Amino acid sequence: MDISLIFEMIAASAIATVLYTIIGIAPGTDETAVIAPVTMILVLAGMEPIVLLSFFISAIVAHKLTDSIPVAIAGIPGGVMSAPMVDHAMVLKKHGLPDITIRKMASGSVIGTIISVPLSIIFASMIVPWGDQIASYSNQIFFAGAIFLALTMKNRWLALASIVPFALLIQGLRHLYWGIGAVPEDTTVFTSFFLGITIGPLILRLFELLNKDIRSKLPNKTVNEITIKTQKKIKGFPSPFKILNKSESLTSLITSITGVFTFFMSPAGMTVLVGETITSRIKNPVKRASRAIAGMESFANSAYIAGILVPLIAIGIPLSPTALGPGMALFNAPPVFTEENNLHHLLSMNEFVIASVIGAVIAIAFTYYITIKYSEQICTFVFKYVPHEALLGLLLSIVLLLAYMDAGLINIGGILLFGLVSGMMHRWGVSYGVQFMTMYAAPWIVSLLI
Amino acid sequence: MSNKNGEKINGNANNIEVWEDIVSVKDLLFSIIICLVSTMLAYSIAPDDSSSGMLYGIIGAVVGFVICSIIFKPKRKLTIIDEEK
Repeated sequence: MDISLIFEMIAASAIATVLYTIIGIAPGTDETAVIAPVTMILVLAGMEPIVLLSFFISAIVAHKLTDSIPVAIAGIPGGVMSAPMVDHAMVLKKHGLPDITIRKMASGSVIGTIISVPLSIIFASMIVPWGDQIASYSNQIFFAGAIFLALTMKNRWLALASIVPFALLIQGLRHLYWGIGAVPEDTTVFTSFFLGITIGPLILRLFELLNKDIRSKLPNKTVNEITIKTQKKIKGFPSPFKILNKSESLTSLITSITGVFTFFMSPAGMTVLVGETITSRIKNPVKRASRAIAGMESFANSAYIAGILVPLIAIGIPLSPTALGPGMALFNAPPVFTEENNLHHLLSMNEFVIASVIGAVIAIAFTYYITIKYSEQICTFVFKYVPHEALLGLLLSIVLLLAYMDAGLINIGGILLFGLVSGMMHRWGVSYGVQFMTMYAAPWIVSLLI
Repeated sequence: MSNKNGEKINGNANNIEVWEDIVSVKDLLFSIIICLVSTMLAYSIAPDDSSSGMLYGIIGAVVGFVICSIIFKPKRKLTIIDEEK
């Protein structure tokens, strides 16, 4: 491999890191919404496949790390992946420790990244022989995943009962769009439905505000009182193992390893499950929340990296929610990449290793340092100057823009409908995870019913 | 509206909780309108090829976000406690 290519990879990683550190801090930036289109543009512009992979790995690592910031300080999910952490972050925020949340999350992220890059590569090379077979069962795997996740919920029968109706809603809208010619028959509306699930609870609440009875029953508050305790400054390069205590480090290690092997499951849904499993025996709310946050963040990071590397290296079709979401362009971006000719076919094992390592190291070093050192300043700045209303406006505009671009004006109405249903399901306890898995399996589920 | 100490705070009885933070319904409504208009304006002036529409739109959304951040004040009351003292 020549030097100029390595230089290009480093440059691409550095650009991705800076770009997605900023984007990640801005709350409400969904991974798929912000990473997929940029990657798509780069693919179509003809970027070298190996440089593309470095860029992408840096992007997901940096974004995953910084999207924990809005969760910690404002309780707004920075993306789908950080949504499950909101409850625990709110506990720490209530105790005046939002910057601790950020540091613990960032440390969990680092552990997740360090573990998952080598482990994903090893795991992928082990399952290469079965890659084609696995690929032919993707629908069944997603369907089984939805059922499995539903059964792990508190309201399991409700979750289970909602799978088929939700699949019908998704396919119903798609067939409507095909039928009236809003999109060509070979285009499957995906991104905007994905985002519709993410902001479902917000759409539901906005509709509720139009109802006088509901509005008058909402608790009236004048201001949100927030207390920040200043922390001792950390000198030198902070070690994640110093920020996390022993049991948190151990939990993070275990959840990182789990994340690699469950790469095909919905990371958001699994993160919830992992969080509940690792904290079920801890009584102290602050300890419970910090352990959960470190463990969930390392899991999420690891699941994300494995979710892109394992399908890319071993299977060649996007058989994980990460690959179907932000990483879609690496598998399928006609005319450059198709299912018969994508990164899976174009890169050798060595090239996968080099690109992943360069991407991960650059992103983690820079972003972790910034996050740990300046979390307090970032917190204070956002609390003081960024109104919640503006964030909600930004988020809603981006979703409606993507809805419009996906299928035209009709899809704005479609997304509102979709958000109402998915927001209601979310409030009833049907997690994002079940909803995503159902969305991936929807065409297959519906084909079974005819 | 004032709190116990009689100092003015940014709030009135119409503030409600949306997604874990307090907002004023009126400001929220205007924020959504401002962001949507700026997004759609930016999208509509984008050159006519497939990839730049989204970029323009997102820039438009960010511009709307910045405008809202300037004209609306956060409904938060920040207290900083210095632990090292």
